[in-house]
Amino acid sequence: MSERHGTTAELLAVRDGEGSAWAREHLARCEPCAGELYRLEQVRARLKALPSIRPPRDRWSLVAAHARSDRRGRRLHSAIGVAAAAALVGVTFLAVRPRPQPLPDAAALDRAMIQSRAMEATLRSISPERRPLNGGAASVAADLEQELSQVDSALNDPGAWRTEPDHVVDLWRQRTGILSALVDVHTANATYAAF
Amino acid sequence: MTGVADTIPLTEARSLVRRARSGDFDALGQIYRAYETGVYTLARRLTRTAEDAEDVLQETFLEVCRSLGNWRGDGSLWGWIRTIAASKALMRYRREKLRETDELDEASMGRAGDLPLQLDLEAALERLPERSRSVVWLHDVEGYTHEEIAEMMGMTTSFSKSQLARAHQKLRAWLAEGSGA
Repeated sequence: MSERHGTTAELLAVRDGEGSAWAREHLARCEPCAGELYRLEQVRARLKALPSIRPPRDRWSLVAAHARSDRRGRRLHSAIGVAAAAALVGVTFLAVRPRPQPLPDAAALDRAMIQSRAMEATLRSISPERRPLNGGAASVAADLEQELSQVDSALNDPGAWRTEPDHVVDLWRQRTGILSALVDVHTANATYAAF
Repeated sequence: MTGVADTIPLTEARSLVRRARSGDFDALGQIYRAYETGVYTLARRLTRTAEDAEDVLQETFLEVCRSLGNWRGDGSLWGWIRTIAASKALMRYRREKLRETDELDEASMGRAGDLPLQLDLEAALERLPERSRSVVWLHDVEGYTHEEIAEMMGMTTSFSKSQLARAHQKLRAWLAEGSGA
């Protein structure tokens, strides 16, 4: 009775240095399986030799704008956190008995909305409509405006306010971040244009 | 050549990361330029479209910006970034609940019947179902173990092994067909 051949899985295991004793012994005496193992090694080598693929568009401006906005947001939240902690210590010190606290979500929402409106005022103050953008910056600004529009649509969904209040706070924070990135894009472009 | 070499030596990488963490965007830009092609290539092999891959590229570097403090500096910076990129790419079809059953595989093969007979390796790879292609790429090119792939994909080790074997059987058949064998 003739011996069976190794399966693809068994031969791959040998190729990867994990094959069974049976598979390794079988390969020593079976020419078709040895040939198949060689073919599997060749496919792997050819896969590794495939060329790299360059991204079709440069995304660095967008990544940098988001990163700046993230960093600014973290600093702002950190400052607000310190102020809030100080206020909490004061309130705790003065309190003579436990009393109902305002919902933390409401306070967070207020802060997020105030920040977003402040950033919107900053954007308006630099009159972006009067600032011509070059190709790359225009593309980044268009992407950001589209994101802003999506966030605004989500905020206009009345169901979200009832069912996911935390998400609403997050949306307002995202809105601040996007507006901040837009400010960066417009002011950075103006800086480049000045040279 | 696909295997992205670690283009930034470790000592320079540590210095760049330190500067980037302190807010130096030039340093961050250098890290981006060094690895954008590597990340995009990996993303392109693991996702369905160029647009998906571009999104993975962007998501990966945003995560890199946020998490630079998590890179310990004792291993390759590219290895760390590559793992983030692979997770972002694999997360996409987890999120989309993409199901690649045998039936879908057969359906995609049916569509591929219109392809020219002269299939080269790249075209054959592209023709594989997304999940199988990801396993082949992560294992054979990027060098991840089946255990690591299973963890990243939320599957079992034996699933990863069987996907790899099935993918190689398909590649074999298609490449033989392309060469007229």
